[in-house]
Amino acid sequence: MNQQEGYADDIVKGFVIWSMVWGLVAVLVGVFISFQIAFPQLNFPPYLTYGRLRPIHTNAGIFGWGIGSFMAFFIYITQRLTRTSLWSPGLAKAQLWLFNVVIALAAVTLAMGMNRSKEYAELEWPVASLVVVLWVIFAVNIVMTIVKRREEQMYISLWYILATLVGVAVLYLVNNASIPVSLTKSYSAYAGANDANVQWWYGHNAVAMVLTTPPLAIFYYFLPKATGVPIYSHRMGVIAFWSLIFMYLWTGAHHLLWAPVPDWVQTLAMAFSVMLIAPSWAAVFNGYFSMNGQWHQMRENYLVKFLIFGITFYGLQTLQGPSQSIRTFSAFIHFTDWVPGHVHMGTLGWVSLVLFAAIYYTIPRLYHTEIYSVGLANVHFWLVLTGQLIFSITMWIAGVQQAAMLNATNPDGSLHYSFIETMVELYPYWHMRALGGVIYLAGLLVFLYNIYQTIAGAKTQAVAQRA
Amino acid sequence: MDSASIYYLGVTLILFLAFAAIVARTYSKRHRDKGEEPKFRMMDDDKPKKDDHPEN
Ligand code: HEM
Repeated sequence: MNQQEGYADDIVKGFVIWSMVWGLVAVLVGVFISFQIAFPQLNFPPYLTYGRLRPIHTNAGIFGWGIGSFMAFFIYITQRLTRTSLWSPGLAKAQLWLFNVVIALAAVTLAMGMNRSKEYAELEWPVASLVVVLWVIFAVNIVMTIVKRREEQMYISLWYILATLVGVAVLYLVNNASIPVSLTKSYSAYAGANDANVQWWYGHNAVAMVLTTPPLAIFYYFLPKATGVPIYSHRMGVIAFWSLIFMYLWTGAHHLLWAPVPDWVQTLAMAFSVMLIAPSWAAVFNGYFSMNGQWHQMRENYLVKFLIFGITFYGLQTLQGPSQSIRTFSAFIHFTDWVPGHVHMGTLGWVSLVLFAAIYYTIPRLYHTEIYSVGLANVHFWLVLTGQLIFSITMWIAGVQQAAMLNATNPDGSLHYSFIETMVELYPYWHMRALGGVIYLAGLLVFLYNIYQTIAGAKTQAVAQRA
Repeated sequence: MDSASIYYLGVTLILFLAFAAIVARTYSKRHRDKGEEPKFRMMDDDKPKKDDHPEN
């Protein structure tokens, strides 16, 4: 049924469209910086250097594309699961404006070199303060909608949504605590190893609360909607949720193995990271078991293809991640190109595939039409899958070679290769990664064209009907 | 054991017990049907419920 009267859906359209704009920016900048690594002469100081553009890429990707679409789908899903219209559509409209202002300010200030030097928490205090206001507006609106809900029981997605709202608020406030010295510069409130510990407690839980719980909320909602069959086990979903929440917050120090933080903190992070396999795979199995008797839909239903490949990459990601959290493995791959391979299987594979499915599902319904072309959606799927696999696999191979070279020693214990020798060997892999990025970008453009045509077609239809 | 270690251990134990209680409740016989209900109800959510008065 296409009619969705009573829900505040115009605002969902706004967030989806803007998140796609920022997603395009993120991928364009990502492809450009991959060329900068492969061809260093493409660095143009001061603004168009790798150092300035990399945080723009990550902020546009994680916060513009990721958070933007999570905002859209949290609003969409919460209303439906509570069977209640949004508490304040006006507030949500203000939120959309503020969201775009924040992301634009982030891009400008980062290009100007204003940076707190903390990964994923780069924004200087005036912009970070706006982020806090933005999040409070968002959280209040969603929580109030849940409070006045007309469904007594809460479907699992709502738990993940609430965890995201609370988790991000706590993490952001603690890690952004700083002492401003001017309008454009501040220093962290923590020092030395403590600062590193807080930063990676935040950093890994950005993975948890931004790149895991929101896509899981979206996956649990849209898989049953796309297949027409309920999720395999709601209770398994609930247990997986609580165990994920119980474990994730302890794992940050796996980014600091062999660093001067207390040994027990590292061991704790290592143990909890390995334990995380259980709740992560509970979600994966829940997805797979929901497909019992429905696997034919992988051929027939393009939405299912995006969702099942997405959860598969989540599964692989949550096996690879815990392996990387083990001291010996970390000693080998840390500081190598292996890590961007891991990151992009998560962001391009898991998170983005699920978001593409959610957009394909919702846009035609919100505009009361059909998708413009299923054929193009399939082309999109294969292009982004190919691009991402070329990217990730190339980086894993590069990382292993790089690690082997960095660790190679002569009989007298001195290093066999100089650092620059290890770098020179990586050029072919960097060329391959840039190629993977271009293929992914091509897929993204096909997706945007398909969505644009769907919306344009719906508007033309609406005008024709009125005439 | 110093007081900080006792505190950490205490918090961990409390969290673990809370988790064990959630598992016990979720998988209790009494809660079985209720625990699976939301997955069926979410399949039909096209409109807000009747007593809702949307402002938009
Ligand atoms: C059980 C789950 C996971 C564990 C235990 C885990 C573990 C790790 C570890 C140990 C690293 C650091 C590698 C190094 O620098 O030596 C890392 C990096 C990273 N992971 Fe995962 N991972 C998990 C799942 C995910 C998922 C689902 C995503 C989603 C996109 C993700 C995204 C990232 C990102 C963005 C980084 C890079 C952080 C940086 O900038 O250094 N991870 N992960």
